[in-house]
Amino acid sequence: MKQKIYRNIAIVTAIFMLVVAIMLGFSYYQMQKVSPLQTDVMETLKQMNESQSDNSELQQQIRELDLIARKAYFVQEHQLKTGTMILIGMAVALCICLNLYYKETKNLPEKDMDPIDDWMAKSKARKYIQWGAVGLMLAGVAYLVLSNVSLGSKDGSTPEEELLAEAGGDEAAVAAAGDSIAVEEVDSVQTADEASDSLPIPKLTYNAFRGNNSSASSAARNIPTSWDLKAKKNVLWQSAIPKHGYNSPVVNGRNVYLTGADNSARELYCFDVYTGELKWTAKADKISGSPSTMPKVNADTGLAASTVATNGKQVCAIFATGDVLCVDTEGKRLWAKNLGLPDNHYGYASSLLIYGNELIIQYQNNSNAKIMALNVANGNQMWSISPKDKIAWSSPIIATLGGKPALVVMGNPAVAAYNPSNGAELWRVDCMSGEVGSSPASSGGVVFAASEYAKCIAIDGASGETLWEVSDYLPECSSLAATSNLVFCATSYGMVCAYDAKTGEVKKEHDLSTPFYSSPVIVEGKVYLFSNSGKAYVFSASDFSLLNAFETGEKTFATPAFTDEMMIVRTDKSLYCVKKG
Amino acid sequence: MIVARFPKPDFSSGYEYPDIVHPAPYEQLWNWIDIFLLVALMGVVAWAAHKKHSRAAIVGVSLFSLAYFGFYRSGCVCSVGSIQNVVLALTDSGYQLPLYVLLLFVLPIIFTMIFGRVFCAGVCPLGALQEIVNVRNFRMSRAVTSALSVIPWIYLAFTILYAATRSQFLICKFDPFIGIFRLGGDVGMIVFGVLLLLLSIFVGRPFCRFLCPYGALLSIFGSLSWKKVEVTRKECINCTLCHMACPVDAIRPPYANKVKEDRLAGVKRIVMYAVLLPVVTALCALLIGSGSDALSRAHKDVYLYDLIQQVEANPEMDIPLEVETFNGLGRNVEDLRTEVEAIQHDYKVYSYLIGALIGLVLSVKLIKLSTKRTRKTYEIDDANCLACGKCFNYCPQEIKKK
Repeated sequence: MKQKIYRNIAIVTAIFMLVVAIMLGFSYYQMQKVSPLQTDVMETLKQMNESQSDNSELQQQIRELDLIARKAYFVQEHQLKTGTMILIGMAVALCICLNLYYKETKNLPEKDMDPIDDWMAKSKARKYIQWGAVGLMLAGVAYLVLSNVSLGSKDGSTPEEELLAEAGGDEAAVAAAGDSIAVEEVDSVQTADEASDSLPIPKLTYNAFRGNNSSASSAARNIPTSWDLKAKKNVLWQSAIPKHGYNSPVVNGRNVYLTGADNSARELYCFDVYTGELKWTAKADKISGSPSTMPKVNADTGLAASTVATNGKQVCAIFATGDVLCVDTEGKRLWAKNLGLPDNHYGYASSLLIYGNELIIQYQNNSNAKIMALNVANGNQMWSISPKDKIAWSSPIIATLGGKPALVVMGNPAVAAYNPSNGAELWRVDCMSGEVGSSPASSGGVVFAASEYAKCIAIDGASGETLWEVSDYLPECSSLAATSNLVFCATSYGMVCAYDAKTGEVKKEHDLSTPFYSSPVIVEGKVYLFSNSGKAYVFSASDFSLLNAFETGEKTFATPAFTDEMMIVRTDKSLYCVKKG
Repeated sequence: MIVARFPKPDFSSGYEYPDIVHPAPYEQLWNWIDIFLLVALMGVVAWAAHKKHSRAAIVGVSLFSLAYFGFYRSGCVCSVGSIQNVVLALTDSGYQLPLYVLLLFVLPIIFTMIFGRVFCAGVCPLGALQEIVNVRNFRMSRAVTSALSVIPWIYLAFTILYAATRSQFLICKFDPFIGIFRLGGDVGMIVFGVLLLLLSIFVGRPFCRFLCPYGALLSIFGSLSWKKVEVTRKECINCTLCHMACPVDAIRPPYANKVKEDRLAGVKRIVMYAVLLPVVTALCALLIGSGSDALSRAHKDVYLYDLIQQVEANPEMDIPLEVETFNGLGRNVEDLRTEVEAIQHDYKVYSYLIGALIGLVLSVKLIKLSTKRTRKTYEIDDANCLACGKCFNYCPQEIKKK
């Protein structure tokens, strides 16, 4: 009789345990999945709060809902723990009941006395182990194969993107090899999209700071030498820029790209080259590693001092936060990453450059300065070097040296050339000092570099040998531009000059008594230059005689961009297009 | 992935986070009491198993051990888990292995080499818990239990991998009974522990036989032990009662080799397995080594880097809590990548090693299962015998003696 009671208690306990275990399992699964504070209601209320930040009732409602959600979660967690304790208690009860139930019989063997066939058991065990091992191995191989397939596209880039990147590389390599201004065919997608537009798509590109390869020149023609912003004479359009920035515009096809930033957001803009319409804005947000508070930067530098780079397929931007953003021509984000907050007391300012499928970054900061190349298609690092130079604010260029493309960068104290494919150093000349903000120029296989409180130097690009060095006039922020005969230099103390490219002799100088941060660009035998106050100067590129000078009315720090018969100028306030007519 | 259940508040509440307080280090005295009791209890079991043939004494030790090492000392650090500390100390010069933990690891091995698996008998709280709840044994197929006995070795191999790469202590993480000892913890593991205990009611020591990596190690030393546990010192009358009573099926019945298989065929099989041993070892090493990158995701830094890559590839996704914390700490992704590369290199090396270990275990097991032996009486399998003493109470010769 007692045994029956124990047996029945054991059965009931076992059933009860089973039910509790199932409930606990279900509850546990639910808790693993639940995100109490990320409900639709909560998200909606939060969105409402963004637009009604002074609505205290709404905020109170959010707080109450938040509290209820947290309470509900922890109550459920408490119930789960209680249930677990009950389960343990039931297990103990079951053991006791079973012990009592089997009290009389547990010391008796429960099986008959047939001998076990030891060999058969071993044979079976061998089979189980063999098949088990084979099965596990096959499962392992299958997993490896499948995971390798997925790892192949782990970087997030599609084969098409890779192909695009490679194609872009070829174009840039061709452009760099000739040290000429690239005239690229715009892609067929753009052509199809804009076929309805009667205006021709500009053929000339201006893909980076100071043009393709940062060459400080453009093949544009028919650029006006005078214009009037107020009277809109020779000005096609003028548009406001949403956020401030000292970076310069770049042009590819119908798109003009530039960036702006403030403490609230960092943005990449695309304007229509013909209409000045803001086509899209891409925000550099939700980037892992991006600092939550903006770095302290000098007002003269800002958070968006670096000029973007494009290859007609991708557009890349970098900000003072170390955020790199890459989007397609429609503004759709392709990838983004943070390189680490640059330790830069003025603010990060070096501009980007695309060479082949490499996005080249002169990542300047006080602690771990690097020059790196990221795959422009997916942001993966292709190579990186850490020159032992001090921090600089200069931007890299691609020059043709000794018949081959070379990456030339200025730092402190070195002007150095690298193989752009792998970062291998070609030569290095220690010649700079102070705070290097200017960028180099190149012509005829010679590299020209200058910086205030240092010197202006000409270096044989093939050997790294110094050809000449002078220190008559030296730029602070403005970069050099060079033809085969002259090297143009604009200083921050109002002097501009042309050095003889062969000897370094000052061939011509002008005391313009106005500082220059913008860089000279050589276009159609002329040199275009803007003073900080917004005064435009046009010089002859052959003898540096002043052809025209006039006030535009808006402060200008950026370097203009050029395309077919058009010049795009970014001022302190706006963006405008200069075009005849 | 950990769900970002409670993200940081969107508003400034003025709440100040309390300073992080680390629990005070375990008192040295208690550590030495643990060691003393470990030695004393193993001594008692050795005495009970070898000298007195007393099951009652062993059960007493089990109850005491369960109460003390299990519930009072919360089952940590235990000898089973100490494998990980030892592996870490061997592979990471920066880790100082406490003498106390070393003794927890070494002493049961020494006792096993002398007296058999007296630690498993009832001193180990994990074994004691299963022993106490065991009511009646339903014998499992020997073929199945032989095959399942490979699992602890695989578990041991992965334990070594994750400890050596400073990823995690697998044994601690998946200890099914720790939640029961502490009356709280991960619900999933507690439920698993309870299920295991329910199984233990009808199947002897399932954790010890089919999962415990320390048990796998001790089985080697058990088979080489100096003093073997005997059911009785008197003549075996082949009554089969001890065999039927053994909860872990460690008593082999008399067996006349009636296999019709040609002797040469048996020899050929053993030679084949011996020849295949290096091949299987290499294959397993290659397989596990090839999967080292996937395995390395168990490391928190690799996992974090993986998450960051996912976020970068898919900027629209919600930023996981780990990535948010990483960002908040201002760490550099490139630095993290360098660390991850070093970790993955370690994983590569150790994955090959543990792959080879698994291959070796499989091959040796197959060779062992290919041997034929004739037994005239019931014999204890010293590798698997847990010295629980249950057989003593069943042996008519022992009962008669008492």
